Amino acid sequence: MTEAYRVLYTGALLVLSVLILVLLIRAARTPRNTDRIICVNMISAMVIVIIVLLCALLREGYLMDAALLYAAMSFLAVVVFCRVWLGTGKRKNEDGGDPDA
Amino acid sequence: MLEVARFCLTAVLLCLSLAVFTVETAGLFRFKFALSRMHAAALGDTFGLMLAMLGLCLSAPDAASGVKCLVLLVFMWLASPVSSHLIAHLEAATNPKIHEEAEEIRL
Repeated sequence: MTEAYRVLYTGALLVLSVLILVLLIRAARTPRNTDRIICVNMISAMVIVIIVLLCALLREGYLMDAALLYAAMSFLAVVVFCRVWLGTGKRKNEDGGDPDA
Repeated sequence: MLEVARFCLTAVLLCLSLAVFTVETAGLFRFKFALSRMHAAALGDTFGLMLAMLGLCLSAPDAASGVKCLVLLVFMWLASPVSSHLIAHLEAATNPKIHEEAEEIRL
């Protein structure tokens, strides 16, 4: 039974790693800037699943805390980046986005 | 017997979660507009995380880790739509051709 769990978790880790590599290539070779933030968001979701998988595979309890911290940090990073780019939203522009105009 | 049932349930949920993440990545390459790609990313992230956390909560090393799985799931349900909404807001504000790609409805 332990061997079956190990095979399952290792297979899942491999699939997730391949998906993260594909997303990384997509983030580098996309025409639009917004696609890069979308790819980073997806990569962080998959990394959270990888950390929880490692917690189950290595049977260590502290990795769940690491996953919670990583989720909070990645969410904060996306929010701060979007706020800095958009401005804080207090302006009354009609077309709504350029902070330098 | 109970151990076999636990393993089967964890395996099914984990494989479904991987399938959802694969479909989400494929959707990122297939859609033409950035807002559609954002939709695929947000839906895929939420659903895939839900299935993975439910599956791994069953086979967690101890009960505290299982509860932390559910706490992480609830936190990602609250945080992921907010970040997706902000990215879509950024896209709608900085795309010069947004009115050709999408229709704006003011409520």
